[in-house]
Amino acid sequence: MPDPETDKPSPVSAPRFEPDAGWVPADERLFGVDRRTIAPTLAVFALVIVMSVVLPVVNAKVPYADIVKAGDVVELQGDVTFVPETGWGITSGVRAGNAPLSGEYPATATVEDRAVKFSVHTAPFDGDANKLLDQIETTSEAVNHGRGVQVAGAHTTIVTDQGKQGATARITGPRTAGVVAAFVFDGRGVEAVATGPSDTGPEPTAAVFRMIRSISHPGEGKQ
Amino acid sequence: MTTTLADLDRARDIALDLSGWGRRFTFYQPRNFAFWGYLVLVGTGMFVFASSITLKYDAYGQAIALAVTSFAIYAALFWWFTQHIDHYAKLPAKLMVVAFLWGGFAATWVMAANANDSILALYAKSFGQSWALNWGAGLSAPFTEETAKGSGLLLLIALAPRQVRTAFDGLILGAFIGLGFQIIEDIAYAMTSASSQFGANQIGASIDTIFLRMVSGVAAHIVYSAIFCAGLIYLLGRPAEPRRVGRGLLLVATPILLHGTWDSLAAIGSRSALTLLSLLITVIVIALVIAVRVYELTVRRERDFVRDVMTPEQARNVITAAELDAMAGNRKARKAYRKASGKHRERKRTRYVLNAAYDLADELAAARGADTDRVRFARAEVGRIRAGVPSSW
Repeated sequence: MPDPETDKPSPVSAPRFEPDAGWVPADERLFGVDRRTIAPTLAVFALVIVMSVVLPVVNAKVPYADIVKAGDVVELQGDVTFVPETGWGITSGVRAGNAPLSGEYPATATVEDRAVKFSVHTAPFDGDANKLLDQIETTSEAVNHGRGVQVAGAHTTIVTDQGKQGATARITGPRTAGVVAAFVFDGRGVEAVATGPSDTGPEPTAAVFRMIRSISHPGEGKQ
Repeated sequence: MTTTLADLDRARDIALDLSGWGRRFTFYQPRNFAFWGYLVLVGTGMFVFASSITLKYDAYGQAIALAVTSFAIYAALFWWFTQHIDHYAKLPAKLMVVAFLWGGFAATWVMAANANDSILALYAKSFGQSWALNWGAGLSAPFTEETAKGSGLLLLIALAPRQVRTAFDGLILGAFIGLGFQIIEDIAYAMTSASSQFGANQIGASIDTIFLRMVSGVAAHIVYSAIFCAGLIYLLGRPAEPRRVGRGLLLVATPILLHGTWDSLAAIGSRSALTLLSLLITVIVIALVIAVRVYELTVRRERDFVRDVMTPEQARNVITAAELDAMAGNRKARKAYRKASGKHRERKRTRYVLNAAYDLADELAAARGADTDRVRFARAEVGRIRAGVPSSW
């Protein structure tokens, strides 16, 4: 049929039939499912299993072997340091003098001894140690919604070996206990958190307080 | 041998069949195994992400709101950009949303995040914390993230085998997978930054991260996935794209290398800020240059489809030969065509005629080349605009 506007024959006026997207050819069905879609889906699931199951399991099976030796010092961003307990394992963070190539130490370091974990985090903070501890408490409550690990009890004072005064409070949670300490060095806040099972004996507790008291920052004299 | 109109119409039909242009995409396909796989993985990712946001919203609400708003605008701008560069055999918008969600939720939370954490921890255990900080990210994320994102394309092909036909389709879908990954990862990074100062000064702590991620993001996940997925199509082969293993492997390896370099910049750039900045700019420029080259490489087939679909319209005098060349040409060809028309007013009109001709091409594709009312209307619109008659609608 010629097109009245162009005087040239028009293409066909009805679209050619195409089966809808849900149609599966009879010879491609397997229990009603399109068999051509099975292989790519299984390939993706295999990748998911490798990434989300196999790798985490392998990681869990490999023990960490970065054990603290006498004299080791862990350094964090902003020249903050602490002395980890000999025999504990460093699970994040690096020793002083062993900075990454970027020259900037990480903001967080964690050492562990069996179920007891001691973590130090540093960042800029405007205020004193009590204000920092209040901030930590507020954030912790907002994140945990009254459940899980909570900062509990009144603030008490703690003094580092360097003579820096900080604030500390107890941490409680289901089958977990611990302590949080806060210091502020010239606009740099430091949060130290130790957690472990509620029935942790006096020895790890003493070790944790030794590590807290070892936290230091250059330029902080006795107060 | 003379080519008849019937031959041209047949060539158009073949081009439409081959390209999948104009075919509607239906997401709900209960008899498609990939549909269920996609649903499970994206659903799980959404749940993980929503749980994280819900848990942290009370603590970091300000930073989350800022990040979500900023990156929503960023995503909208990107969407506009892809529409701007894709004049040719367009993919259904619904398919792009499906790609975006894969990148945002499945590739991130179900796949890459778990793998990255494990590999980084294994590196630290094997080579030490300092080595892991230097090279861990550069030797884990490129492999886990690029494969996680790219694997989504396998599901998309299984979900839309009639639409995903060319390496250019892979490029566009890959870009959307990358965009989804980028946006959701950036929101997570903003949350981490918000918590970095003990939850205080959230906006100040996260704004730098948001800005840096936005600036660097264009030459990061979006570009990496686009190149990777174009390569994957070459590697697999599609009805409209013959298999080219060498080219496919090269395009799959390139973003992995770019990503690895990007993630290792701090270690490579060492302690000099100037070296780091120079490297940063160099990697961004190289990534963008490669992306443009891959775009030029893949878009040729799409332009051929436009030519095949619109040649019968030129033969019927609906469009001119110059308009056909402009439609099936690159940006320069369209610009040259507009400039050739002389005065500003005429140039404006030629632009409108081209846009109307692209509308006609889309209608023809949707009608599978048939002469429907919509096609006739779109054809009449080309004539109306060319004649300078105001629209009655």
